[in-house]
Amino acid sequence: MKGLYLSKKLTAILTGGFVLSLSILLCVGKKREFSEQENRYLSSFPKFSWEALKEGDFTADLESYLSDHFPFRDFFMGVKTGVELCLGRQEINGIYIAEDGYLIEKYKQPQNTEKIIRSFRGLKEATEQAEVYLMLVPTASCIYADKLPEGAPINSQLDTISQIYEKAGCVSIPIEEALLSLRDEKEPLYYRTDHHWTSYGAYVAYLEFCKAKGFEHVRLESLEKKVVTEEFKGTIYSKVNDYLRDGDAISIYVDPKEKLTVSYTDTKEQTDSLYAEEYLDKKDKYSYFLNNIHPLIEITNETIDTEEELVLIKDSYANCMVPFLIKHYKKIYVIDPRFYKEAASELINQNPKVKDVLLLYNMNTLDTDLGVGGIY
Amino acid sequence: MVFSSIPFLFFFFPIFLILYYLVPIKAKNYILLFFSLLFYAWGEPVYILLMLFASFVDYGNGLLMTKYGNVKSRRRIFLWTSVGINLSMLGFFKYADFLIHTINQIGGLSLPKPGVALPIGISFFTFQTMSYSIDLYRREVEPERNYFTYLTYVSMFPQLIAGPIVRFATVQQELHSRIIDKKGFYEGFTRFLQGLFKKVLIANNVGALWELIRVLPSTQASVATAWLGAVAFTLQLYFDFSAYSDMAIGMGQMLGFHYLENFHYPLYAVSITDFWRRWHISLSTWFRDYIYIPLGGNRRGVWKHLRNIAVVWFLTGLWHGAAWNFILWGLYYGLLLGLEKYVWGAHLKKLPRLMQHLYTISIVVFGFTVFVFDDMSQLGSYMALMFHVAGNSLIDGAFFYYLRGSSVLLAVAALFAMPVYPWCVRQIEGWRGGMTKMAAGARVALYLALFVLTVAYLVGDTYNPFLYFRF
Repeated sequence: MKGLYLSKKLTAILTGGFVLSLSILLCVGKKREFSEQENRYLSSFPKFSWEALKEGDFTADLESYLSDHFPFRDFFMGVKTGVELCLGRQEINGIYIAEDGYLIEKYKQPQNTEKIIRSFRGLKEATEQAEVYLMLVPTASCIYADKLPEGAPINSQLDTISQIYEKAGCVSIPIEEALLSLRDEKEPLYYRTDHHWTSYGAYVAYLEFCKAKGFEHVRLESLEKKVVTEEFKGTIYSKVNDYLRDGDAISIYVDPKEKLTVSYTDTKEQTDSLYAEEYLDKKDKYSYFLNNIHPLIEITNETIDTEEELVLIKDSYANCMVPFLIKHYKKIYVIDPRFYKEAASELINQNPKVKDVLLLYNMNTLDTDLGVGGIY
Repeated sequence: MVFSSIPFLFFFFPIFLILYYLVPIKAKNYILLFFSLLFYAWGEPVYILLMLFASFVDYGNGLLMTKYGNVKSRRRIFLWTSVGINLSMLGFFKYADFLIHTINQIGGLSLPKPGVALPIGISFFTFQTMSYSIDLYRREVEPERNYFTYLTYVSMFPQLIAGPIVRFATVQQELHSRIIDKKGFYEGFTRFLQGLFKKVLIANNVGALWELIRVLPSTQASVATAWLGAVAFTLQLYFDFSAYSDMAIGMGQMLGFHYLENFHYPLYAVSITDFWRRWHISLSTWFRDYIYIPLGGNRRGVWKHLRNIAVVWFLTGLWHGAAWNFILWGLYYGLLLGLEKYVWGAHLKKLPRLMQHLYTISIVVFGFTVFVFDDMSQLGSYMALMFHVAGNSLIDGAFFYYLRGSSVLLAVAALFAMPVYPWCVRQIEGWRGGMTKMAAGARVALYLALFVLTVAYLVGDTYNPFLYFRF
């Protein structure tokens, strides 16, 4: 009896002390605004109002504030993941722990297919002089399905893709065969720790675009391959928080003779590069391509002798394909419909030089991206 | 506020405890009352008025009953007033939508629904206050003269939201004078931790497995996977709910209150009758004492006995929620209890013990599948998966995938769902004069490690309320 009592006493005293020290640290500790590890802004202390209290918003926000600024947050998240991996979990936060060091995001059962088809059709019908091309990119869980844990249930992306292609009324550019045929190559098509595809993956899809357009494609060997970082730990890494994992390399393929003008219409900034060096020092290194998020970017190729222009309506997957596409157009208007508030069809119809429109989405964002609804 | 949340564990409860221990004995109830109201207001700032109203009605009613109720018939008037008000509150806030929806469906009407949100814990606190009125009517309890003391009883935050349903008689004496000592504190603290571990480390994780399986499209769910899902939900519900009771009982002990046990290893039962003696004991004894026995129990012949079982189990089902699946779930148990009583109960006892466990657990797992889907068409499709009539396969790779990923978790859960832990403690205690210093140290280290892990899960996880908050 004595031993048991002693152990209860010690447990109570030690745990109690531990709780109190964490509470004090949570109060006096320095608050971070941004978590590099998770690549997101942490919540700030909620503003008090009776309305917010009545609706329960105030207390809910306060709870997420406390959780976001909890002392040693990164450590605790790492402990959780470590234990789960030890226990044999192969799926954490909707991410599969796959073979060859891959973390692969699950493809959820699509909910908005009909809505997406309507909105693509809408754009097609609203467009006057230009041809609308549609390219849907399957994500790693489809192309690298054989790397997934054995027996992991997967929803078919290909069914959804063909359904949309069939009904959207656009000229579809299927790329899944091309990607699948290269899945065993050494050069990765997708990042191991991020939900995006690599420049190489984008290049493979670009080849299919060239075929559809009848363009003569640029050969990869004629470009200079540069590894800009080997420390890229992307969004999926942050969802799993397995700190023992290595980062990815980001490669780009450049043509030193090319001269570009890139203007960001929202910030009025103008540069001559498709890449934003400053992001290489940050967590979110994929934003190196086209400087993260902008509603409209106008990219001009100064060294080409065509007058044709392209409107690219896209999610972030397109950002690493633009370096290839720009080799065929005088100008590309890059629209992110989540933030571009005007109608894309107007921009297209008012610029007679725009002969092509390319809709480019990856299958994961497509279903959840609220911007798709407002593209025309 | 959820017990297993950062605000509660790191601010609300420590601050409360420090104040509670610092203030003189006379002020302790007021501190407890103040914090209880704060606790309720955290999630339901408006409905707190409803709770104040309910407790005031029963308090006042109790005083009137004592003053004017020297004959039983007059006491009965006050009893019905109290029960009437409590049931109308419960009826309006919990059942009105369901009732009107049903009437609309049957009569082809479109009467408007009130559409009010369910006040947290209403099913628990109305049952507590009703038990007070009924006990007063039966003269089994002394009336409470101090409103604040009575309100402290009704609103006491450890058990306010999800039970156990504590009767006034259980805590009346301790409300006025109780022993608050180190021993109770340590005991209660450890009990609270056990509940916390059960909730955060087991219930939430088997719950996550269930959520994965629940949303599988029917083409990907084999029979084996569907049953695995049902088992995962059963474990989730047991660990979630019993963890809440553990935490409530533990906190009560730290404050000097002794609540009755609410669970006694129900998944280890040998029959359905046995199961209901072990599952949510405070609810089943409530129905037994206030409905079943007054109706005559089993002493008025077979038909009346069967009627009483049907009434009680219909109500038990309905208590859990305003939906047909809960009623179905209650009646399912009513039927099985009747069958055990009159058809196969005696035969069951002759079976090997393992068979009795298997019999019980399969009925319980199946029952909770009915319990979990409040949408009848979803229930139907899930049942079709479980019984191989949805054109799904018997067993597939996905089943092994889920099993592989959660085998340790399921093994731990199954082990702790059986009385293995108390058995181990007994063995260690009985072994050469009790727990050695070394074993005690190891136990402390284990608890601390589990606590760190719990914090890790709390920090990294999304919001995970207790399942019984909905009831």
